[in-house]
Amino acid sequence: MRNKVMYITTAAMIAAIYTALTLAGVGFAYGSVQFRFSEALSILPVFTPAAIPGLTIGCVIANLIGPYGIADVVLGSIATLLSALFAYATRNIRVWKLPLLAPLGAVVFNAFIVSAIIFFFTPEDVAYFISVIWIGLGQLASCYGLGIPLFYILDKSKLFDRFNGYTH
Amino acid sequence: MNISIGQYVPGESIFHRSDPRTKLTMTFAYMVIVLLINNFVGYAIAMFFLILAIVSSRVGIRMVLRSLRPIVFLIIFTVILNIFLYQGETLLLSIGFIDIYKEGILFSIQMILRILLLVAGASLLTYTTTSIMLTDGLERIMSPLSVIGFPAHDIAMMISIALRFIPTFAEETERIMRAQASRGADFDSKKLREKIRSFIPVLVPLFIGAFRRATDLATAMEARCYRGGKNRTRYRVLQFSKADIVLTSFFIVFGVLVILSRIFF
Repeated sequence: MRNKVMYITTAAMIAAIYTALTLAGVGFAYGSVQFRFSEALSILPVFTPAAIPGLTIGCVIANLIGPYGIADVVLGSIATLLSALFAYATRNIRVWKLPLLAPLGAVVFNAFIVSAIIFFFTPEDVAYFISVIWIGLGQLASCYGLGIPLFYILDKSKLFDRFNGYTH
Repeated sequence: MNISIGQYVPGESIFHRSDPRTKLTMTFAYMVIVLLINNFVGYAIAMFFLILAIVSSRVGIRMVLRSLRPIVFLIIFTVILNIFLYQGETLLLSIGFIDIYKEGILFSIQMILRILLLVAGASLLTYTTTSIMLTDGLERIMSPLSVIGFPAHDIAMMISIALRFIPTFAEETERIMRAQASRGADFDSKKLREKIRSFIPVLVPLFIGAFRRATDLATAMEARCYRGGKNRTRYRVLQFSKADIVLTSFFIVFGVLVILSRIFF
């Protein structure tokens, strides 16, 4: 039971941090030109599987508060879920001891799936691809630019190892 | 940092009194129906029902308009793209390589209406339902899935804990940022590189705090014999009432009218 309760509380905390960080960056965090600091957390499934439901729930809550309504909640959260699963699956593939493949899911899935929201409102493919590029660039900056340094520091501090006894 | 989670507006209206399960299902159905509308008669019907809903929910037109403010950019973006890129038949204006068609303008108006309807309609759900009720409703809607092993209760539990801790972490983020700023961190730098560099020292203490909280909370839950969803009783029991029947009937009329407008116009 301890493991399960710990899993629930860890996931909940990750969700809360994701939402809090998304809201802190508001104004930038939504829409077709977005840069979410919180997306750096997409590296977390490398450390603990509790981050998979954690990030997804965080995204659901953040998008519920956000301006795009249910379309963003459903599509954005599916993208986050897929990215988290991808990061978890590729967690052991390391280049220079860094999980360089893990954040890729968050870049690709978000760019293509979140842009589909724009698709509901415009008839042209052009808008869709412009949006894919913009969201992709934003994700690239936060997932790699912020996510990889975050991994490096969390890995070095062995913060997760101390808790892993509970979360695995 | 001003964060209003759930954006709940307290009240006693028919929307406030109805069950969150009804409202959740209706919101999803509403989204689908709005996306089905393909002519102005349909939009007129939807607008009428939306205004009716806003008035009867008593959250005030101002609150609903506030929910629309963040999407102004999306609306402008949509309009510009639609007007300039749409290839129609009736040419209205031609400047250089840009052709503006009558169909493009009509299409843009439809898209604006669609965005307005979607966002304003969905905002009613969060304005009239507390986040706790919303989570309860979600858990009950998802619970049939637990037959196939879907952890409906666990997920609802995570959502309610997360909702409880968002303000805490928002406050903590701000406090850590101030602490780091007093040590010389520069959060206002225009350079992305600098921004990223100053952000890492915020994330690490945030995580340490979060893990401490997760451990403490798990201990507290176990001390109170938390054993997951099985046999757990509730303080607030969800129940359907007259308000749900009235809302659902109005909603069915709305749905039927929209579908008829699709067939006949």
